[in-house]
Amino acid sequence: MSDDILYSIRNLTVEYKTRGGAVRAVDNVSLDIRRGEILGLVGESGCGKSTLGKALMRLHDGPASIPAGELWFDGRNLMDLPLREMTDIRGAEIGMVFQDPMTSLNPVQRILDHLTETIHTHEPETSDKAARARAEELAERLGIRRERLKEYPHQMSGGMRQRVMISLALALRAKLVIADEPTTSLDVIVEAKFLDLLKELQKEFGLTILLITHNIGVVAEAADRVAVMYAAKMAEVGTAQDVFIDPKHPYTQGLLKSVPNIKLDSADLYKMGGQPPSLLHPPSGCRFHPRCPFVMDVCRDKEPAFEPVAGDHLASCWLYQTQVANQVVGDQEVQNG
Amino acid sequence: MPKTKEQLSKTIPEGTTWEVELKQVGFVRRLFMARRWYGADWWFVAISAVGVLAFIIVAIFPGLFAPFSPDALVGPSFLAPGAQVDLPVLVVPVKSSINKLADLAVPPGAARPTVAVVEGHPTAGALNEQAQKIDEVIKDQPKGLRLRPIIDRYPTLAGTLQAVINGTDMLAVVQMTEYSAVKAQFPTLREAATITGVTSTAGGFILGTNDIGQDVLSRLLWGTRIALIIGFSSSIVSLVIGVPLGLMAGFVGGTFDRLLSLLMDSLYAFPGLILAIAITAVLGPSILNIIIAISVLYIPTYYRIVRGQTLSVKEEVYIEAAKSIGARSLEILQRYIFPNVIPSVAIIFSVNVADAILTGAGLSFLGLGLPPTLADWGIDVARGQRFIQTAWWMITFPGLAIMLIVLAFTLMGEGLTEIFNPKLRDR
Repeated sequence: MSDDILYSIRNLTVEYKTRGGAVRAVDNVSLDIRRGEILGLVGESGCGKSTLGKALMRLHDGPASIPAGELWFDGRNLMDLPLREMTDIRGAEIGMVFQDPMTSLNPVQRILDHLTETIHTHEPETSDKAARARAEELAERLGIRRERLKEYPHQMSGGMRQRVMISLALALRAKLVIADEPTTSLDVIVEAKFLDLLKELQKEFGLTILLITHNIGVVAEAADRVAVMYAAKMAEVGTAQDVFIDPKHPYTQGLLKSVPNIKLDSADLYKMGGQPPSLLHPPSGCRFHPRCPFVMDVCRDKEPAFEPVAGDHLASCWLYQTQVANQVVGDQEVQNG
Repeated sequence: MPKTKEQLSKTIPEGTTWEVELKQVGFVRRLFMARRWYGADWWFVAISAVGVLAFIIVAIFPGLFAPFSPDALVGPSFLAPGAQVDLPVLVVPVKSSINKLADLAVPPGAARPTVAVVEGHPTAGALNEQAQKIDEVIKDQPKGLRLRPIIDRYPTLAGTLQAVINGTDMLAVVQMTEYSAVKAQFPTLREAATITGVTSTAGGFILGTNDIGQDVLSRLLWGTRIALIIGFSSSIVSLVIGVPLGLMAGFVGGTFDRLLSLLMDSLYAFPGLILAIAITAVLGPSILNIIIAISVLYIPTYYRIVRGQTLSVKEEVYIEAAKSIGARSLEILQRYIFPNVIPSVAIIFSVNVADAILTGAGLSFLGLGLPPTLADWGIDVARGQRFIQTAWWMITFPGLAIMLIVLAFTLMGEGLTEIFNPKLRDR
């Protein structure tokens, strides 16, 4: 594993036990998160992106389990660690920002206590004064005024609370921050400010951020690389430029076309046909085939491999694999001819 | 066909509101609707809090408010509230050194004191009885004094008093009311004391006396202490046991939760008083045992509420966020779940104290809870029940006290619920 990869997910599967049987919300997914990048993870609701985000910290509980897969973080396989060591990593090395800042802070605790407690949890030897000083410095850096630290969560706006959540993740200089739909409940202006803040923090602290969202616009604005998930599988991964300018997977193409644009009439907006599949009974072969405009016979029978299509750009689609195959065949014919 | 807006506005005259105007309704209806119309929750709490505070102060310093000791036999039996006290009093010459009945005691062999009484009055009997009581006590003491007065009977009150003035008798024993009517005619005599030795019955007995001559008011005030000790201690004990169990069961879940809930539900299934009766019957009567019995009764209340709250708080995003910053289970329980659960515990506590007082009174009413010598409302009610036809005040005032204290605590609890729980407001 090369040194510039911070977190390497290998063949991860996450299952939920339900009455109807086991549902694989994440099915055999592999993904690399590189040091210092913002990786955008996009997909429809229910495609397993949030489950993936939680599984990265082994925060899954209740009916969820991880039957297979490896989570290599900074040279350690997190799946092999005992729970006690895992809790040490949570917060200290991997932080998380949740979707709804209105409910993700303890309503009976002051903001300052949230911060100092995080510091004390992982560094019990830190004095109260030092912890407070660090919390204040950090908050100031994130644009939270010192006096506001004495307030309770309900006294703050959504944007401020989301800053608090970020500062919690940064309180111990986490290497990776998993932001699970952090801007969903914010309005557009606060959202833009928040994304700017993320980018600044990325540069300043060398922070690695996994930005999970269903909002293509957010990814386009902030992400260095983009991973697209569809029905518990990874559909396409590449640099933001590659994916947005030259999307390979038909699902990504459809997704980009269905983003509303002021220049289009509402009638012109592309609507992808069909419904996302039930994960309880996923379609055979390629999971996108019932909705795919380029569907071929092979798509219905066999699952495509997740392979590079061009350089750093990966996709799982027979379209490119056959092209690659054809090319190989063509090359051979040229050689033979 | 659906009506148009115009048609609808015609059927309802303009200016009509669904709420009845405050000025148009009578007093009773205003009282019933006080909560809604005046936003009365806060004064419900304020009034009941004052009541609770008063009860607590009385319970801490009953001696300041009670005129007598709760056990002392201070007056005649069955004296109605506010009735004139009519005890036999000792009437002596102004210069006499006799101040109480015991002063008449003399060494054996010496001349026995002579006492004048009015013929045919019950005073002679009362005097004899009291003198014998004192004699029983003093005859075994080292001095060996005896109190065996010789009783001289005179046909009239005036004659009786005259005998004392003449020096024929050392003193007279007459009814207080009769003496005070003729007091002015005998300036050389004075009233020393009642024969029972009580010197001050000024103000009388506001709430009357019971069957053995104890002051009902004093017993009532001292009884507050027992009631509050039972109410608070048993509520605190069941809180201290029930809350952590509920927290653990809700947080840990699984088999532990199932077993504990089964145990608590089976406790809950018993009718409360019967379970308490069974426990006190086994343990025997004492304050500690009554507290244990009532605590066992109310543990499931705390357990259930806290467990339910824990289950819902556990699913909040901030708990998951706490996990994501590496908080351990114990920390989550202490810092995140417990503070979010405690407001509802405070509310149940207040109602629970009232309930516990009621159960405690019920137990001692049945003669199971407390030693019968204690000043306790339940015991007083039980005792008053026997004399309900002759002395209504014996059962009424302890009963009222129980009702008031329960009402104060319950109102405070309910009012706090309404204030703290915004979902219940504007109902």
